[in-house]
Amino acid sequence: MLERLAEELPQIFGYYNLIFLGKAALATLGLSAIGCIVGTLIALVLVLVRMTESRLLAPLRWLAILFVEIFRRVPFLVTLMLVFFSFQLSGADLPLFLVAAISVTLIASAFLAEIIRAGFESVHRNQLDAARAMNFGLIASVRHVILPQAWRVILPPAFGFFVLFIKDTALASQIGVLELTYAGKVLNNKGLSAGLVFGVVLVIYFAISYPLSRLGARLEDRLAPSRHSRA
Amino acid sequence: MDYTLQFGQVWPYLPRLLSGAGLALQIAFLSFCGGLLIGTALAAIKAFGPGWARRLINVYVVFFTNTPQLVQIYFLFFALPDAGILLSPYVAVLIGMTLNAGAYLTEIQRAGFESRKQSEMEAAEVLGFSRLQQIRYVILPHVARVLFPPLSNHFIIMTLGTSMAAIFGVEELTGQALNINAQTFRSIEVFSVTALIYVALTLLASVALGLIGKFAFRAKMRLA
Repeated sequence: MLERLAEELPQIFGYYNLIFLGKAALATLGLSAIGCIVGTLIALVLVLVRMTESRLLAPLRWLAILFVEIFRRVPFLVTLMLVFFSFQLSGADLPLFLVAAISVTLIASAFLAEIIRAGFESVHRNQLDAARAMNFGLIASVRHVILPQAWRVILPPAFGFFVLFIKDTALASQIGVLELTYAGKVLNNKGLSAGLVFGVVLVIYFAISYPLSRLGARLEDRLAPSRHSRA
Repeated sequence: MDYTLQFGQVWPYLPRLLSGAGLALQIAFLSFCGGLLIGTALAAIKAFGPGWARRLINVYVVFFTNTPQLVQIYFLFFALPDAGILLSPYVAVLIGMTLNAGAYLTEIQRAGFESRKQSEMEAAEVLGFSRLQQIRYVILPHVARVLFPPLSNHFIIMTLGTSMAAIFGVEELTGQALNINAQTFRSIEVFSVTALIYVALTLLASVALGLIGKFAFRAKMRLA
């Protein structure tokens, strides 16, 4: 077994395989980045909708709550299949990467909405009332009163979620998106031994995820104490 | 877009989906228990053990929490046969999820061990509690209260994670859905019913865990 590894090691690190793996890693990063950025924006909108008070908007509020509660409780694989088959049957001819990006965004926005809402709730209710009394609109009071205080509470768990999320994109390989895991399967099918291929894939994931999780831990250390001292 | 939804074709398969849901819960429960054992042992070693053991545990935790569970199971399932170890899909998924859970639960439990207060232990000693009584009446209630919410949260995440087993051919909820989809081609219907079953499953689990946490451990929990 060991001589086989020694024989294959130069092969997997051949020029074209390296480019292939590099592109796959970029796809993984791209999927995660799209999910995180678009997901954060949608999550903010969901939280804002949930904070509205007018009676007319009540159905919209329920929809926002329903969206968050459902997508937090459905496995990523099932969401992926649902989105994939919905687009297939509706006849829209989207690239697979986009389908994966949409499902990733759906999941991310649901989880991030919960994180952002918890952060907003950590700001005392009086602050919002005071802002409203001074005739700040909902968006203005969130922007000038709540966000400046809540971001310290939101950032550490949101960052933790981003790191988790990079690993969840591995499931996109199941609909045939060429990201790291799928690249591993392709190289394995080309005849390289599974141990070597998936070992390399694991190491690449680790190289992406570990620095980010260290950064997240540092953020938490730096932001958390000031949160306690203020309370 | 001239597709009409026909849920009628999915209903006959509902018992199969539900039995799949049972299997999903079983996988989640077994690997959670296994992970809890690993996590408790390793967190205890991390709190009281020698330095080299602590570093070794750190390597395990950092490696498993920073790589995707799917690829870990791929490794177990496709690479171990080269070394002469053949695992059935069910066993491979179970081992992979247990190892993964062990790493995350070590991290969670560590926080619990760190939250025990020296003053409380000393108070118990002054009151004449034996070591066992100290653990039973002082450490455990305290640690359980702190740890129960994050642990039950992780159980829910793991329940969702079991859907990964479908990729290896285990016929749990998602696996059944894939099979039924292949038989009926009612993809949207099958997967939306599956999604609803997952929602119901995790809601049920979080309400049950919330009640247990509230009454058995007096933990601060949000129901549902």
